[in-house]
Amino acid sequence: MRLKHSLFTRRQFLNGLLGGWLGGLAAIFLYPVLRFVFPPEREPEQVLLPLADYGSLEPGAIKNFAWGSKPGMLKKTAGGELIVFVSVCTHLDCNVAYLPEQKKFFCACHEGWYDENGVNIGGPPPKPLRRLVVTTEGENLVVKPEGAA
Amino acid sequence: MSIKSAARATWAWLDDRLGIQTVMDFLKHKQIPLNRHTPWMYTGSLILMFFGLQVLTGIMLAFYYRPTLEEANKSVGEIMTKVPLGWIIRSVHSWSATFMIAIVFIHLLAIWILKSYRKPREMTWMSGALLLVFTLAFGFTGYLLPWDALSLAATKVGTDIPRSIPLIGAWGTRFLRGGEDISGDTLSRFFSFHVSVLPLCLLAALALHVYLIQKLGMSLPVGADEEAENRRVIPFWPNFVYREAVLWLVFIGALVTIAVFLPPTLGKSADLMAPAPEGIKPEWYFLFLFQMLKVFPAKILFVTGDTVAVLLILVAVVLFFFLPLIDNKPAGRKGKIITVLAFLLIVYAVAMSVWSLQTPSKPEADKIIPAPQNIKESTGIFVFLGGIWLCVAVLIYLLRLKIKETDRLLEAGYFSSDKK
Repeated sequence: MRLKHSLFTRRQFLNGLLGGWLGGLAAIFLYPVLRFVFPPEREPEQVLLPLADYGSLEPGAIKNFAWGSKPGMLKKTAGGELIVFVSVCTHLDCNVAYLPEQKKFFCACHEGWYDENGVNIGGPPPKPLRRLVVTTEGENLVVKPEGAA
Repeated sequence: MSIKSAARATWAWLDDRLGIQTVMDFLKHKQIPLNRHTPWMYTGSLILMFFGLQVLTGIMLAFYYRPTLEEANKSVGEIMTKVPLGWIIRSVHSWSATFMIAIVFIHLLAIWILKSYRKPREMTWMSGALLLVFTLAFGFTGYLLPWDALSLAATKVGTDIPRSIPLIGAWGTRFLRGGEDISGDTLSRFFSFHVSVLPLCLLAALALHVYLIQKLGMSLPVGADEEAENRRVIPFWPNFVYREAVLWLVFIGALVTIAVFLPPTLGKSADLMAPAPEGIKPEWYFLFLFQMLKVFPAKILFVTGDTVAVLLILVAVVLFFFLPLIDNKPAGRKGKIITVLAFLLIVYAVAMSVWSLQTPSKPEADKIIPAPQNIKESTGIFVFLGGIWLCVAVLIYLLRLKIKETDRLLEAGYFSSDKK
């Protein structure tokens, strides 16, 4: 059955609707499946570093800690200020090393270099190392993401 | 070349090699008798649909589940609290198992009472009995995986049952447990059964079952006038499939809705040294066996009650498997005793289950009760449910139009012209 000037027969129209709504239903189910399969990256809200272990850094020295599943580095600058990095290269996610003699961070994967403040100075890294915020609260140093209250 | 002709050419290329058209022709000629027993014929495909859902959700859960003593309970807890929508996926897996097993029981009782297992369909029944065993084994092995106090106790009892069988029993228990007692090895063993051994077994039995159904065609009611019945048939494709689709949609909607509102909980990680929690019960489909083991006296004459109960169950299982050979009358004859037996079995199972529910189970403390994580997620879930039911409603409306249309075409003899 086809009306005059109509592009579709009734059956084609009905089949199209049926297929379209079936596709819609499938899409509704696809959404939770995709959400489940790809978990969001969870990073810690804060990490506590006991002052007893981390408080006595020499200026210029570095100490490692775990920022969730990533390595973090606590550094005391020459001026005595504490700064914290996520020591993961901003290029392709390799863990970086600190070379104390050269006062630089080095990523061995693709030879990326950062200066002692974590600013990218050579090789492929596009951005400085990610900084975290550190404060002292009682017996602990508290490390939080930048921008967190 | 337009998209349409390209699609047609691709289809022709595939059809040339795969013979899709042959299959479609077969499905068009496969005839479904239309009579008062036709509704029971929907149960088979419903079971298939739930099995498909089990495969999908099971694969998803296995992405995050870790089958070790230390991690099993923790990883299920993480699925329920950390993984986005994980509690819903677990809930769908658990509820879909319940739906599947319930419909399996309905399917088998319908075939029993309608005597569809009679010649030439004896093997179809037997392959179905195998499928039942594998399905229950899925339920039993899956129950241990969350590794909380309940699942540990249920598995202890369940794996101890073979020990009551003389001679080979102790060996069976050792095989199931991977040692004398339940340990981490039992857990990895059950996981392996649940995700690889049983799926392969079930698929093999399913292939035989479905092949036989296609080969032998659908059965007719006992004592039916064959010629009159043969005139009242609809083709499997498309008329019957559209009818089935309506049922599938309703059940999918119901399943997801129930899964969202009644998710299963999770107790604390099982302690192998702790005493069994009070009022433990297995899953509902094992309740009648559980109660039977409970009420049998400790000693009957010279043997222990357990042994008698287990041997009785074994005899019943063997009789059940060979039912088509015991009731080997021609397909047209009535069989009142067999029908009465089926109803007696139903009454027995229901009565025993209700009885076992009389012992109240103690609610466990400190269990994880899943819920949406925040207002955003719970809003999203309601939108999701609304979307599903909207789609289901519209699709059922459209499917009714398709059913009417295909029935009109059938009546007009449109499908019979290509009958060979």
